[in-house]
Amino acid sequence: MSAADIELVEVHKHYRKGRIDIPALDGLSLTINAGALVAIMGPSGSGKSTLLHLVGGLDSPTSGAVRVGEAQLARMSERELTAWRSRHVGFIFQMYHLVPVLTAAQNIELPLLLFHMPASERRRRVDTALEVVGLTDRRDHRPSQLSGGQEQRVAIARAIVTDPDVLLADEPTGDLDAKTSEEILNLLSLLHADFGKTIVMVTHDPRAAAYGQRVLHLDKGVLDRDEVNPRVAQAVRV
Amino acid sequence: MALPLSYHWRHLLAHRTTTVLTVLVIAAVVGTQAWILGFSVAFNNSLAVASDERKIIVIRRGASAESSSALPVEEFNRLIQLPALAVDADTHEPLVSPELMVQIALPRRRDKGQTTGNVAVRGVTAAAFRVHDTVKLQGPLFSKGAQEVVVGVKAAEQFMGLQVGDVIRLGYGNNREYQVVGFFSARGGPLESEIWTYLPSLQSAHNRDTYSSAALRVRDDVDPHKVVEEIAGPAIGLTAQTERDYWQAQTSRIRAYRALVSVLVSVMAIAAAVAVANTMFTLVAGRTREIAMLRTIGFSGRQILTGFVLEAMMLTLAGGVVGCLACQVWLDFVGHAKDMYAATNFTTLAFDIRLTPEIMVCAISTVITLGVAGALVPAWRAARVEVVRALREA
Amino acid sequence: MPTLQRDWWALPTLQSTNVTLTYVLMRNLTRNPLRTGLTAVAFALPMGIFVLALSLVVVLTEAAAKNEKQLRLAVRNKMALTGYLPDGVRRKIEELDPQRQRLRAVCAMRWFGGRVPDTQDTLTSLACDVDTFPVVYSDFELSPEEGARWQSERRAAVVGDGVARTHGWHVGQRVELKSTIPPYLRLEFMIVKIIANSSPPNMFYFRRDYLRDSLEADGATGAGCNLIWVKCTSAANLRALQQEIDALFANSPSETKSEDENAFISGFVQAIGDIPGLARSMALVVVFIIALVAGNSMMMSFRERTSELAVFKALGFPPRRVFGLVLAESLLLALLGSLLGIVPTATGLALIPRQMLISASFSPPRFSALAVVGALTIGIVVGLLAGVWPAYQALRLRTTDALRRVA
Repeated sequence: MSAADIELVEVHKHYRKGRIDIPALDGLSLTINAGALVAIMGPSGSGKSTLLHLVGGLDSPTSGAVRVGEAQLARMSERELTAWRSRHVGFIFQMYHLVPVLTAAQNIELPLLLFHMPASERRRRVDTALEVVGLTDRRDHRPSQLSGGQEQRVAIARAIVTDPDVLLADEPTGDLDAKTSEEILNLLSLLHADFGKTIVMVTHDPRAAAYGQRVLHLDKGVLDRDEVNPRVAQAVRV
Repeated sequence: MALPLSYHWRHLLAHRTTTVLTVLVIAAVVGTQAWILGFSVAFNNSLAVASDERKIIVIRRGASAESSSALPVEEFNRLIQLPALAVDADTHEPLVSPELMVQIALPRRRDKGQTTGNVAVRGVTAAAFRVHDTVKLQGPLFSKGAQEVVVGVKAAEQFMGLQVGDVIRLGYGNNREYQVVGFFSARGGPLESEIWTYLPSLQSAHNRDTYSSAALRVRDDVDPHKVVEEIAGPAIGLTAQTERDYWQAQTSRIRAYRALVSVLVSVMAIAAAVAVANTMFTLVAGRTREIAMLRTIGFSGRQILTGFVLEAMMLTLAGGVVGCLACQVWLDFVGHAKDMYAATNFTTLAFDIRLTPEIMVCAISTVITLGVAGALVPAWRAARVEVVRALREA
Repeated sequence: MPTLQRDWWALPTLQSTNVTLTYVLMRNLTRNPLRTGLTAVAFALPMGIFVLALSLVVVLTEAAAKNEKQLRLAVRNKMALTGYLPDGVRRKIEELDPQRQRLRAVCAMRWFGGRVPDTQDTLTSLACDVDTFPVVYSDFELSPEEGARWQSERRAAVVGDGVARTHGWHVGQRVELKSTIPPYLRLEFMIVKIIANSSPPNMFYFRRDYLRDSLEADGATGAGCNLIWVKCTSAANLRALQQEIDALFANSPSETKSEDENAFISGFVQAIGDIPGLARSMALVVVFIIALVAGNSMMMSFRERTSELAVFKALGFPPRRVFGLVLAESLLLALLGSLLGIVPTATGLALIPRQMLISASFSPPRFSALAVVGALTIGIVVGLLAGVWPAYQALRLRTTDALRRVA
């Protein structure tokens, strides 16, 4: 039951494609409070995925500072970032990225294998995560035996099983139909409400963005608009 | 803690066809490798026994082996005068053994007698058992009065008609019947491929008044190579070699054969390593996104690398086990014994090829090493998967 | 009108299918150069061994076929290879056929065990009956002058090309050999003939009357021989004489064992390491390996491209063309690997001078077009077989399923 705040200061991120330098983020600064549920929107190439990768420590900024909780990510080495990710961040992807040859429970267990933890403790955590996402009866199924929505819920369980401070979701509903999307988004809201996780969700679906307390609109690597969603802000308080 | 083993074997099972084909390639290589290792070990064991530096084999000058040597009695008698000879503790007799070697053709057991091999028959006296101290009788000794022989355990395994009670025909004109009365062992050395009988009996059977050779044992405080030189010198004028040198020379052809097979097996082993590399590259390429996910979760590059190397080890281990089993089945099928001729005398040396646990461990660990070498580059590539790009490609 | 139109369209469509598929085929091989390379290497190494083994088998088979035509029967002491047969045996064999209808000539030989002085090189040296040697070994093709010299020069020697090259001997040269068997004579010879393509290469034939006289001059007995060659007039006569000779001497003090020349040689060859047997088993293992390597590579390649093949089918390419595409890729890959293995090995065999490979005990492999063709054929067959299963899968591929798998 922990959460971290996020702070970006004057972050630039450039990609080289051949000879051309492409700016993905162009001096972005923003702050996200601990325990917030924030949606990031923007057209293709606006830098929203890059933002997510920087916050998750998958990538380092060309210049500027990224702070998540107490970690100054821009100053950390590849190795430090790897270790930090395993403890503090949970990722949810559009394509779920489950290991096809492992069962639901084994997929969820994967991140726990990085810690010295007795098998019984791992099992307890996996069971809890399965219960949270409502898939206890599917624990021994392979990804190929699950529906898209169930696969994504397994992916969410895998993201929360280490009890991270931050959950980062990249188009979590991008591959799902409207009804299933709603279930997934409700699950994320629940995690936010019940466990107080900081959740950052990149999406281009306005209905998904509507679940965010705050919606950041990126365009061409800079913050275009920063809206507060009063309906959700209230709903959380209730 | 790294990735669980189940993660890897499940992946190998998922790529069933590729895995099975690769395992079979490795199995073929390990199988042949285990065979040549088995052969080498049998050969080395045999030679290791026959490398007594204190034992000297003396033959007639100009002869190249015992079987083509004729040593007149008066020349043999000069050897008895050698001051360097060891003396038996009980009888105080000098340890020098006159020996006569003839050969007989016997049908091989392996092909049910379709082919024959030349087996050495050695005529000996009581001194032989003191000079060749590795020889241990199993059962009775031939009696001096009757026509009887004792048979080396390898010869009995390899050739037909050498069991106790069987009769072999010896002598000039093949007119003397000798009965097998017992066996002897020689710690796996070349003497086990021979048949022994009483020297005067064999001499009279073959109308010979000479010996073939003499085996002698030198005192512990003498340099055997000095004795070799002394025997070759003008006073005695015979050819002498320590037992080690004698057998090294006799087995030159077998060693050439072994070298040839080893080279061929090595070439195939390299091919197997390349095959493993090929398979691992494909396994890695098919899993780029999965690796990116694992890296995102917090697995380090080194853990991914270790994992893939481990996967290759599982692959090669499976191939190694299958290969050893196949080799064992093959040996059971065609027989464990292989006999080859010594270099110059066309006398059979029999080897007993056994896949001991050591040989299997050696063959399997060699191929695992090769497999790991083949997997390193693909595994390194897996560890270096660019997470962000791989995720974008999803 | 519609008929014409269909014809008009149909022809170029067919053509372009082939062109497109050929293009795709080449692209497939170059798209994953790493796999193509690794497969080719994993294929080429065993293939090299295969060519080598096959070359040896071809050489030995040729030699065996040549020997068989010579219709020679080897008669030796049954009890021991090195045992002696009395000189009377030759006469008794000749008396089996006084009219010379079934056997042409009988030549007795005696081991000499001659070693070239100051070397470790012990030759396969045999003292032969002077009168019948040129008849029994008519394949040595002694010219009338060489034949005359063999008859007139007591110390005449006919030697294999292997020995001659190793020691730099030439016709007319005087050479010495030292026997390694009692009584260890040292004799001088005069080379009258060098045998081309001698098998084994280290043969050394000379006159038995010369040996007998020399032995007796040394006080030893010169009588007895180790081996008697009977030149027969037909294969049927050879089989019959083999039975008759062994029956003739059965239960005598000198029991014989008769074998045709190839059986006699293979008895030796097997015992000194059975290189031909080794070549055969290696060839088997190697074919097994290359089949697996090629099959594996094709399965991997097919697996990765399932969706692409489905697209081809969806675009309207006939299934049998897709089948052909996969098969052709496998074939090309196998050809590439085969050539990579065959060319260097065959070139090596053709270029490396024969004397470098010469061993005393067996004829070395040499470049053989037959072996190259054989190896290439095996490569092609393996390539086709390895491609059949994936190609069949491609044929049966359900387009919709395959496309969904990608999505």
